[in-house]
Amino acid sequence: MDLNNLLHNYPAAVAMILFGIGFSNLLLQKNLIKKIIGLNIMDTAVYLFLALKGYIDGRKAPVVVDGVQSAEAYINPIPSGLVLTGIVVSVSVTALMLSLTIRLYHRYHTLDMDEISAQLKKEEK
Amino acid sequence: MDFVQNLPFISILLSLFSGPLSSILNAKWAKRVNATVISVIGIFSATVLFYVLRTGQEFVYLMGHFPAPWGNEIRVGILEAFMATFFCLIMLLCMFGGIAEREREIEESKQNLYYIMVNLLLSSLLALIYTNDLFTAYVFVEINTISACGLIMIRQNGRTIEAATRYMIMSLLGSGLLLLGICFLYDLTGHLLMSNIKEEVAILAATGEYHIPLLVSLGLMSVGLAIKSALYPFHAWLPDAYGYSTVSSAAILSSLVSKGYIFLLVKIFYRVIGFSVVCDSKVVDVLFVFGIIGMIMGSVNAIRESDIRRMIAFSSVAQIGYIYMGFGLGTQEAVVASVYHVLSHAATKSLLFVAASGITDASGGSRNFLDLTGAGYRNKAAGIAFSVGSLSMVGIPMFSGFISKLLFAQAAMGHTHKMLPTLIALAISTVLNAVYFMKTVIRLYTPVSKEMPIHEHRVIPLTEQPVKAGALLCFIVLNFLLGLNSEPVIRLITAGLAMFD
Amino acid sequence: MKEWILISVILPAVMGVCLLLASFAENVKRSETVNRKNRRRDRQTGEQGTQFGLHCFVGIVLALSVAITFFTAYGGEKSLVLFPLVDGIPVAFRTDDLSCFFVTIVGIVWLCAGVYSFRYMSHEGDEKRFYGFYLLLYGVLCGLCFSANLVTMYLFYELMTLTSMPLVLHNGSREAIMASLKYLFYSMCGAYAGLFGIFFLNRYCDTLDFVAGGSLNMTTVSGQEEMLLVAVFVMLLGFGAKAGLFPMHAWLPAAHPVAPSPASAVLSGVIVKFGVFAMIRTVFYVVGPAFLRGTWVQYAWMTLALLTVFMGSMLAFGEPVLKKRLAYSTVSQISYILFGLSLLTPTAFSGALLHTAVHAFVKCGLFLTAGVWIWQSGLTRVEELRGIGRKMPVLLWGYTVLSLALVGIPPTGGFLSKWYLAQGAVQSQTGVFRLMGPAVLLVSALLTAGYLFPITMNGFFPGKTQDGSQPPQRKDPPAGMLVPVLLLALAAVLLGVIPGPVTKYIADIAALVCR
Repeated sequence: MDLNNLLHNYPAAVAMILFGIGFSNLLLQKNLIKKIIGLNIMDTAVYLFLALKGYIDGRKAPVVVDGVQSAEAYINPIPSGLVLTGIVVSVSVTALMLSLTIRLYHRYHTLDMDEISAQLKKEEK
Repeated sequence: MDFVQNLPFISILLSLFSGPLSSILNAKWAKRVNATVISVIGIFSATVLFYVLRTGQEFVYLMGHFPAPWGNEIRVGILEAFMATFFCLIMLLCMFGGIAEREREIEESKQNLYYIMVNLLLSSLLALIYTNDLFTAYVFVEINTISACGLIMIRQNGRTIEAATRYMIMSLLGSGLLLLGICFLYDLTGHLLMSNIKEEVAILAATGEYHIPLLVSLGLMSVGLAIKSALYPFHAWLPDAYGYSTVSSAAILSSLVSKGYIFLLVKIFYRVIGFSVVCDSKVVDVLFVFGIIGMIMGSVNAIRESDIRRMIAFSSVAQIGYIYMGFGLGTQEAVVASVYHVLSHAATKSLLFVAASGITDASGGSRNFLDLTGAGYRNKAAGIAFSVGSLSMVGIPMFSGFISKLLFAQAAMGHTHKMLPTLIALAISTVLNAVYFMKTVIRLYTPVSKEMPIHEHRVIPLTEQPVKAGALLCFIVLNFLLGLNSEPVIRLITAGLAMFD
Repeated sequence: MKEWILISVILPAVMGVCLLLASFAENVKRSETVNRKNRRRDRQTGEQGTQFGLHCFVGIVLALSVAITFFTAYGGEKSLVLFPLVDGIPVAFRTDDLSCFFVTIVGIVWLCAGVYSFRYMSHEGDEKRFYGFYLLLYGVLCGLCFSANLVTMYLFYELMTLTSMPLVLHNGSREAIMASLKYLFYSMCGAYAGLFGIFFLNRYCDTLDFVAGGSLNMTTVSGQEEMLLVAVFVMLLGFGAKAGLFPMHAWLPAAHPVAPSPASAVLSGVIVKFGVFAMIRTVFYVVGPAFLRGTWVQYAWMTLALLTVFMGSMLAFGEPVLKKRLAYSTVSQISYILFGLSLLTPTAFSGALLHTAVHAFVKCGLFLTAGVWIWQSGLTRVEELRGIGRKMPVLLWGYTVLSLALVGIPPTGGFLSKWYLAQGAVQSQTGVFRLMGPAVLLVSALLTAGYLFPITMNGFFPGKTQDGSQPPQRKDPPAGMLVPVLLLALAAVLLGVIPGPVTKYIADIAALVCR
């Protein structure tokens, strides 16, 4: 691998590292709240990546000000739009996860997934 | 433009908006609205199917009349219309099959919420089937996940909430990967519409540029969808989610939700990346290996299970393995076999879930294997249906399961490396299937001996649940249709896949 | 005309299903009464009348279906294509010489065991279910005999396993369930090994239809012979599971003792023969004997068969429970047939087919005899049968004749078939097996005599009873049970006394297929 290439693309690399952190948190943490934080880190990393790829050096956000009409002056609005849509999705998913967590906490008085499983097994016997 | 071309979009909107409508209705009316909506959409999809078959080519519906690279599109071919029709049919039967359980297990005030979720689920499934835009697909994947989660946890007890949480976590991991894959692809090609991406990918593949990012993107999307559809090592949430939710949820989840993701994967393979590019990559080999492991391990787990619902759930893991093994073979025939198996498994597994609920009803609600002794005599319809489903799962000729196995084996023939593993895995998994399904059927028809405690057993005559019996009958007929009259279906699938290219 | 094939399959099957439905309804009613805990005893009163009606019904249906089957089989060649299962592979039926031969055996055995079971099954309970599956199985076997291609055969082969399994688990005890699961497991493994091979053959053959002498496409095969040989060998092993070929023979001794005697009689007499049938169809009608001659598959097959012959006899010799002893004997005798087939010569093939017929009659008769002893006095072990000849002399004579036929003493059919087998082995070009084969057969025949004749000797000459009690009173079994046994014994003897027509018929088949 060309190290220069990596250095040149360091924002993308940061996004990937963040994604990895979020993903492993969501997968490996036992605590539900930490899982949800991981989920948000993961999603944010993807949005960072998208926004990054949608940005072109020296261009402006696609909002018409000062009467500049040339398309060359602006960046493509679609990635930003995608990020917005993605944020909406992740907010709703986070809300759902939080509500599930509250219910589990009320029932088992713990946020630890493993402990909840253990209690469930005990319940069955 | 013919009016029929509006129908797919109308179907999506109809089911999307019947959701809010259900929220202000009471349970009874919500149920009726739901059944009507599903049947109307089924009829719409069938109409679209006939239209597409008549014209012989797919059509594109522009959202808001924005043309190709900018606007969002719906694209309908034979396979899409057929899948939509089939999914509606299965969903309708599942809903009818689980009426009694729903009314018993869900609080009265929350029943209309259930129908909201079902309507949402249907609309997201339809959108997954029809859409030509990858990001739209992602959004509807999330909607699908959320509504599926609602279906699991509507029956409130510790098990289902825990199962729903696990389901959410795994699904979110999967959709995170899927989203990242889509972003990579967008970065590489600059498009979100499937057909445009495909043109760009073809150029990239021809020049050999960006080979690794393309591979990574494909891998991310495949693995993401594989996690969401519970391919073997990612199946931990599945037995609880299918085993403890109300029966229509379990049937819909196993036969439709996971199949929606699989269908999306087929679309990604064919319409986004291009099948030849997919086959050249190593991704198919990975899917193949996991598919085969899933086939065996799912069955092994099912054998060790003594709870009938969880046993059927584990059998789903094995069947998903079959489907991914088909993708892994990487030939046109194998994908046809996989799609056929999607149909056959959807028809069989929902049948089994509904029948199993009838059987447990007749055994005092116990799902333990030993308590089911003689249940086939107490609930006739469920017993017969369960036997038919089992025979189909085992792969006895005349039932749908045999045809899909035959297709898999035929597709594997002549494959240089994968032929032997496929055939051996098919044989082993079939024998394992036979062991646990036939064990159950024998148990169902073993007369109760006098020493056994029988106070909880209850005889359920046909007249007590005529709707369920009717649904079971329809499932059985569907199974026989797929098993005895497979050729038209296979032709449809082949024509539909040809349209994808 | 060709619809007769369909009728001969469907008539018994439909009648069987009707009986099953009736039995099902009865069980449903019973579970209802069990549930209400006020079981009334009024079912007993009507029992005699309904039982007689049931027997009449089963008898008439059975006779009618056998008549129709024979009419179909010997009324000229017919073929019938039902519907395509998948592209290019239809469910199709055809009658040819081999199917006529097997269907005749099935018909005769089914009639005898059916008549016998009228008396026997009255004490086992749930007769309707038994007869339901019995008739259904007959229909399935007809379909199996008449199937015209490998896939149809596979279809009916699976159905045969499924419909014969309930006969094994008839009494529903724990052992019966375990035994039938074992049976199911072995059969399924075998059937899928067979299916595995069918996929290969689908690729390498011109057609999956049965053509005498095989339809291998040599241009596709060239270069891939080794692969195909492996596939054929796997098929042989798979179908061998049904035929009790070592190493897949273990289900036989487990399934036979728990099944009701008529069921074990047809299981041992007929069902295992369809493993042989499937092998014949595969080797002689699809692959072709020419392809296998002189390959390692032939030698492996021969070795396994001889091993099984010897091992089965040894195990039978040391087995004290009569039905298990007979089951091991079946293991050994079926492998006589398989040895004959594996030689791939016309003479040995004739011997194998002849032995199929002889063994079907003899083993069915022996199991029915064992059934009488269980039914009348609950005797299951060999040493308990001391002095049985005083009690039932006629039956024991029947047993003796059957044993003579199985051992192969002239003038019975068994002698003839073994003669052909030995002759075929000596004539064949198989090196060391030319002499080893007949030697093993001879040793095994001696062992057969060793495990069958002591019952006759101790039965007629019990010696001095230790406690000095009176010899038991003569108490012949009812005619309904005695006559089938004697008829089967007669058939086994007649095959040896007037072999002309049968041997000629078989020789024609052999000349056709062993090209």
